[in-house]
Amino acid sequence: MDCNPCMKHQLIRKTVQEFAENEIRPRAAEMDKGPGFPEDLMEKMKPLHYFGLQTPAHLGGAGLDSTSYAIVVEEISRVSAALGLCFTVHNSVGIYPILRFGTREQQQQFVPPMAAGERIGAFCLTEANAGSDAGGVETVARKTDHGFVLNGTKIFVTNGGICGTILVFAVSDTDPAQSSVFIVENHTPGFSVGEIEDLCGMRANPVASLFFEDCAIPADHCLGTMGQGLKIGLSALDTGRIGIAAQALGIARAAFDEAVSYAKARQQFKKPISRFQTIQNYLADMAVQIDASQLLLYRAAARKDSGRPFSAEAAMAKLHCSTTARMVTNLAVQIHGGYGYSREYDVERYFRDAKVTEIYEGTSEIQRMVIARDILTRPA
Amino acid sequence: MSAEKLIWVWADYRNYFQSRVTLQILARASVLAEKTNAAVCAVVFGDKVEAYVKEYIAHGAQKVYVTDDPSLRTYNVASYAFLLTALVKRFAPETLLIGATRFGQEIAPRVAKQLDTGLTADCIDLDIDEKGQLVQVAPAFGGNLIAKIITPHTRPQMATIRPGTFQELPHDDEAKGEVVPVPLPDTMPSPRVRCLKSELHPARARKIETADIVITGGRGMGSKGKFRKLFDLADLLHAEVGATRPVVYADWVSSEALVGQAGKHIRPKVLFSFGVSGAIQHTAALADARFIVVVNKNPNATMMKLADVAMVADANQVCSGIIRALKQRIRD
Amino acid sequence: MLHIIVCIKQVPMVSELPWDPKTGTLKRETAQGMMDPSARRALEAALQIKAGVGRNQARITAVSMGPPMAEEILYEAKALGADQGVLLTDPCMAGADTCMTAMILGKFITDHCPDAGLILCGAMSSDSETAQVGPQLAEVLDIPAVGYARRLELVHDCVRVERHVDDFMEVMEMDLPGLVTIDHAGESDLYTPRYVPLAGVEAAFNAGDIRIMDGKALGLNKDFNALTSSPTKIIDVYSPVTRKENRVLTGAVKKMVDTLFDDYGKIISSAMGKDLKTHDHEGDV
Repeated sequence: MDCNPCMKHQLIRKTVQEFAENEIRPRAAEMDKGPGFPEDLMEKMKPLHYFGLQTPAHLGGAGLDSTSYAIVVEEISRVSAALGLCFTVHNSVGIYPILRFGTREQQQQFVPPMAAGERIGAFCLTEANAGSDAGGVETVARKTDHGFVLNGTKIFVTNGGICGTILVFAVSDTDPAQSSVFIVENHTPGFSVGEIEDLCGMRANPVASLFFEDCAIPADHCLGTMGQGLKIGLSALDTGRIGIAAQALGIARAAFDEAVSYAKARQQFKKPISRFQTIQNYLADMAVQIDASQLLLYRAAARKDSGRPFSAEAAMAKLHCSTTARMVTNLAVQIHGGYGYSREYDVERYFRDAKVTEIYEGTSEIQRMVIARDILTRPA
Repeated sequence: MSAEKLIWVWADYRNYFQSRVTLQILARASVLAEKTNAAVCAVVFGDKVEAYVKEYIAHGAQKVYVTDDPSLRTYNVASYAFLLTALVKRFAPETLLIGATRFGQEIAPRVAKQLDTGLTADCIDLDIDEKGQLVQVAPAFGGNLIAKIITPHTRPQMATIRPGTFQELPHDDEAKGEVVPVPLPDTMPSPRVRCLKSELHPARARKIETADIVITGGRGMGSKGKFRKLFDLADLLHAEVGATRPVVYADWVSSEALVGQAGKHIRPKVLFSFGVSGAIQHTAALADARFIVVVNKNPNATMMKLADVAMVADANQVCSGIIRALKQRIRD
Repeated sequence: MLHIIVCIKQVPMVSELPWDPKTGTLKRETAQGMMDPSARRALEAALQIKAGVGRNQARITAVSMGPPMAEEILYEAKALGADQGVLLTDPCMAGADTCMTAMILGKFITDHCPDAGLILCGAMSSDSETAQVGPQLAEVLDIPAVGYARRLELVHDCVRVERHVDDFMEVMEMDLPGLVTIDHAGESDLYTPRYVPLAGVEAAFNAGDIRIMDGKALGLNKDFNALTSSPTKIIDVYSPVTRKENRVLTGAVKKMVDTLFDDYGKIISSAMGKDLKTHDHEGDV
C-alpha cells in the first residue's frame, strides 16, 4: 500500500531503505545482543542528517516534515526497532521541544551538536512513582542565584547510556504544582548514569536510570520559561507518539514480510503452509491491520504538517500501530512455529521488540484516555 | 567485390584469455557459415601478427584480413574502430562478431554507430533463422531474462559474444586460408586519446570473480575462528573464499571478500555456501554460479532454494567433514 | 567553468522481475525504480571532480531518458549534489535501442549543452547490460571516449583516466570535450556512491523542478518513433529455465558429505582440475 504518493516522500523512503538494508540489517541481530550501537554505524549516519530529521537546515538538520520523519523512523525500525527508537527519541523528544519551546539562544547553543549527532538527546519524565501521571514527579529544581540545582532519579530513560543532552522534567522545590523542563548536559557535575536496564526487547538501546545529585545548571538551561513543564511534556508526547507509531508499524511490517515468505517456503503435508486457510486468514488479518495502521499514522503526520491539532490522531495512530505490532509479531512467530521461538530467526526479536510500543510514550490505556477526552470535548 | 557472403570475426588476441574468445567465435561462425553458405573470415590489426593469422586459419578462418603496422602495436579504440569501419564498408560482410572482452565491448558499439547498424551485447548463443538472419541471444537483468534479437534491415548484423560461450575447434595445421593484406590508410584519425601506459596486470583481487570454485561463508559459520576453516577448505579445493556482509562487518574477513551487489560478482563452476541465509544483495551476485552446494541449519533459508545440493546441517561441521573427506579422496 | 553531463538511467530495483511467462509480458511498471548503480558511480565521479575543482568551477547536469516516473532519479541526483536535472521523456522515445538512446541523448547535449566539457556515463546498466550507450553517444557527439574508468583526474585541459581492461592496467589521456564511462562496482572503491543525505532530498524538491523535455522540445521529427527506428528488433523474451535438482540432504554429516562426493564428485573434481575418488571405498585396497 502506498500512503505517500508524493514523489518526495517516496524518495525519502527509498533513501532510508537503501541505507537500512545495506548498513543496518546485516548487524541488527548482533546489535540485539547487547546495549549500545556500533560506533561506525552512528558515524555513517551523522552526515546523512539522521540525527537532525526535523531540525531546520540552518541548525544543521534535514528540515523534514512530519510525514518524512515518520517514514524514516518506520524504515529504520523495520530493520532495527532499537535503533529506530534511538532516533525517534533523539529527534522527537530530545530536539523537538527545544525547537518548539526553546529561546533562540537555546536553539543556537544546543541544537546544532545534537543535529550533528555529536550529542544524543533524551527526555526524562518517568520516575519510580511517576509516569503518565506527571503529578507524581519528585525530581526537584531549586532556584539559586546562579541558576538551578536538580535532585532526583529518573528511570527507564531511552538512550540513557549514550545521552549527551538531556531534557529533565522537574518540579519547583517551593511549589510542587509548578513544573519545568531543564536542559542538562552529561558532563554536568552531579549527573550520572545508572546501570543499563536488562529489558525484554529493544536490547540494543541503552535504556538506563539517570541520577541528579545537586546537579547545578545555569539559569538559561530552563527550557522556554518556568512553569511550562506540563505543556512541554504533553507536546513532546504528542510528537513522540507519531514516532512510536511509526516504529511499531516498522516492526509489524518486518514481521509480516518474514511471515509471508516463510509461509510460502515452509512445506508441511507436501504443500506450502500458505495453502492452508488458517494461515491465509492470519496473513489477511495482519495485512488489514498494517494497512489501517499506515492510514492512521500518515493521517496524523499530515495533520501535524498542516498545522492542525493532531493530538487525538497521534494517539489513535500510536494505539493502533502498537496493537498491530504486537498482534502481527505474535502471529508471525506462530506461523514460524518452533523456528519462530528461536533466536536465530528475526521474528523472535520483532516479537520482543513489539510489546513495549504498547507501553512507552503513554500506554495503550493512556492513549484511549486521550482519544476519549478529545471525543467528549468536541463541540456538539 | 565478391558476392560471397562473409561472416567476420574481429580478432582479439591481446592475452591468452582473449585469444580463446576469438577461437570460440570462429568455431561458432563455422556452424553459422554452413547454414548460410558463407565464408568465415578473421580481421586482424596489429604489429607483427603473422603468428595469430596462422592460428586463426588453423581454427577455422577461411580468409584473414590483416593490417600489420607498427603504429597498431597497442590497442586503440579510435583507430581500430576507424579501420574496422572502413573495412566493413569496403567488403560488406553480412555479419560481424566481436568477443565481449572489455575492449571488444568498447570498439563494437563505436563501429556499429559509425555504420548505423544494430549491435547486440554479450550474446550467449547465435543462430540462423529461416530467413537466413542472425538470431542473437543475449541475457538481460542479470540473466533473469533472455532476449532473442535480430537486425532486420541493416548490415552487417553485429554482436559481441561472451567469452566461454562456445567451444573452440581443434587446432588443424593442415587448414588452408587466404590472407588478404590491407595496408594502413594514408589518413588516420588524429589521436584524441593518448595511451600513457598499458601493462599486462593480471589482477589479484579479481581472482574470486573468475575462480572456478568459490566458497562463501555467512554468519552461520559461528565465529571468526571457525570462519578461518573455510580457508583450509579453499586450499584443498583450489578455491577462493567470499563472504556475506554481516561477516565482513563482524570483521571475520576483510571487505575484499564481500560477495554482493556492492562487492564482487562471481560465476564459479562450483559454489559452496556455508551458513548463508541468502539476502538478495548477496544472491544477485552469484546468479551465474553453475553448481551450488548450500549448507544451512535452516531448511527454509533462501539460499537453500538456489542449491543443487542442499544440506540441512551445521555449516561448520559440514565444512570439517568435507575437509576430512577431501584429504582421503584427492588423488595426487 | 567545467560543465559535466552525467547520463543516468532508471532501472528496476528487483533482480527478479515481475514476469509473466504465459502472456510474455514484462511488468516493468510494477517494479520499483532506482538509479542504475553504474550511473550512480558516474555521478559520484562527477561530484568528486566538482569538489576537487571547487564549487564554482564546475556544474553538473544529470540527464535521463525514460518514462515520466524516471523523474525520481533526477531528484535523487540533485539530492546527491547535481546542479540540475533533465528528463527526456516522450512516448515516441519508448523502445529505443542503444543507437536511438545515444542519438536522443546526443541531440540534447548538442543543442542544449553546447558548453559540455566532460560527459560521464555508467559503463553498463544493471538491466540491459549492454555497455553500448556510452561509446555510441561519443560517436554521435564526435568526441573522444574512454571506457571503464576507475579513476579520473583533470590535468589542464585534458582528463587522465586509469582503467583496468582485460587484465591491462592502462592510463589514458584525453582532450576535452570527451566522454568517460565509469566502471561498475568492483575492485576500486574510489567511486562507491555516497548515500543520499536526507537534507539533500528536501533541498532537491525545494530548489526548482526537473526540466522535462519531450520530442518536440528536443526538436525530434514529428513522426519520429524510436522503436521502429532502432536497427535491432527484439523478437522474443523469455525466462531461462533453470532446472535445479534441489536435492535436500539431511542426517549425519559424514553420510551427507559422502553422498555429495559419491554423486557429484565428478562436477567438483572437474572444477578443481584434480582427480577425486568419487567412491570412498574405491581404490582403498
